Amino acid sequence: MIARAAGASGQAAPLRAASAAVALAGLGIAGYLTTVHYAGGTPACAIAHGCATVQQSKYAELAGVPVALLGLLGYAAVLASLARDGEGARTVTAFLSLAGFGFSGWLTYVEVARLDAICSWCVASAVCMTLLAALSVARVLRM
Amino acid sequence: MFVTRTRRLLAAVALAAFVVAVAAVASSSGGQPAKPVAKSTLFRGIPEHDGVLGDPNAPVTVTEYVDLQCPVCAAAARETLPTLVRDYVRTGEAKLDVRTLSFIGPDSERAARVAAGAAQQGRLWPLLEAFYAAQGQENSGYVTDEHLRAVAVAAGVDADAALEFADSAAAQEPLNRANADAQRLGIDSTPTFTVARGDGAPRVLQAHDERSLAAAIDAELAR
Repeated sequence: MIARAAGASGQAAPLRAASAAVALAGLGIAGYLTTVHYAGGTPACAIAHGCATVQQSKYAELAGVPVALLGLLGYAAVLASLARDGEGARTVTAFLSLAGFGFSGWLTYVEVARLDAICSWCVASAVCMTLLAALSVARVLRM
Repeated sequence: MFVTRTRRLLAAVALAAFVVAVAAVASSSGGQPAKPVAKSTLFRGIPEHDGVLGDPNAPVTVTEYVDLQCPVCAAAARETLPTLVRDYVRTGEAKLDVRTLSFIGPDSERAARVAAGAAQQGRLWPLLEAFYAAQGQENSGYVTDEHLRAVAVAAGVDADAALEFADSAAAQEPLNRANADAQRLGIDSTPTFTVARGDGAPRVLQAHDERSLAAAIDAELAR
């Protein structure tokens, strides 16, 4: 039983490392968007004005808090939860990643269906959250 | 063991779904659909002829290509135009022209036609400023006649006359001119500024911040 647990933990180690790498990438994206938000500028965007449209829409804030800052805190929390590898920590990572994945999905829907504007940085963050959700679910199931 | 893992995962999924649902509801209900219309003072005392703001004999012409629904155009109007007006238009060194494009949607076209009506009254620039101040979400249908009337009144425009002009065939001419000029100069995004000295060929600027614009005007003035 101990050997099996050790084996499962060994299998999950690459997943944990991959999760950390993806969370770091997400942290960078969210950090950039948060900086741009507070600097009062508009993100460099491959799609004409898409980022500015999204950033200046009412959906850019949640209860007065910039969504970019929420993302930054979310990625930081995911990274913090990855510092430990117990069952509880894995479950916390899964919860954070799934919540981030769900909220990213909602925001992507808003961009496409309501704003008719795509923010490439937001899409990149949504991809990070999707990867994190998949990796964290796999880590929970391999405990 | 597997049952425990599955339960933990389901609990995480359920909690995450609850958090996302609450966040989505809060996200949808927050914010303001349109800002209140503010009185315009930026252009007070500056002459306007045929939609061109400033001294008709000013050596440099700055032309801005806009879509009235474009939020970056509104930001440029707030952040760039005040300095431009203060340092170059009021001093008689430059005059401001505008081309109203309407690529974002039907609301853009309706707004541009009413703007043409304001230009007939020598109040185009105040109307643009008032429109940006009350700008709503793109293509959300907020550009109603009621909204346009409120914007026109705030800009000191005769709203009835402007809306009547907007329904006329003549209101299409500035839109056609804007499209033709943008196509000729390869302008495909807004806001885009061009700078020209006298009757010379306009130079398309890649940036729209006040520093870049001031540098471009200074360069033309130095020629």
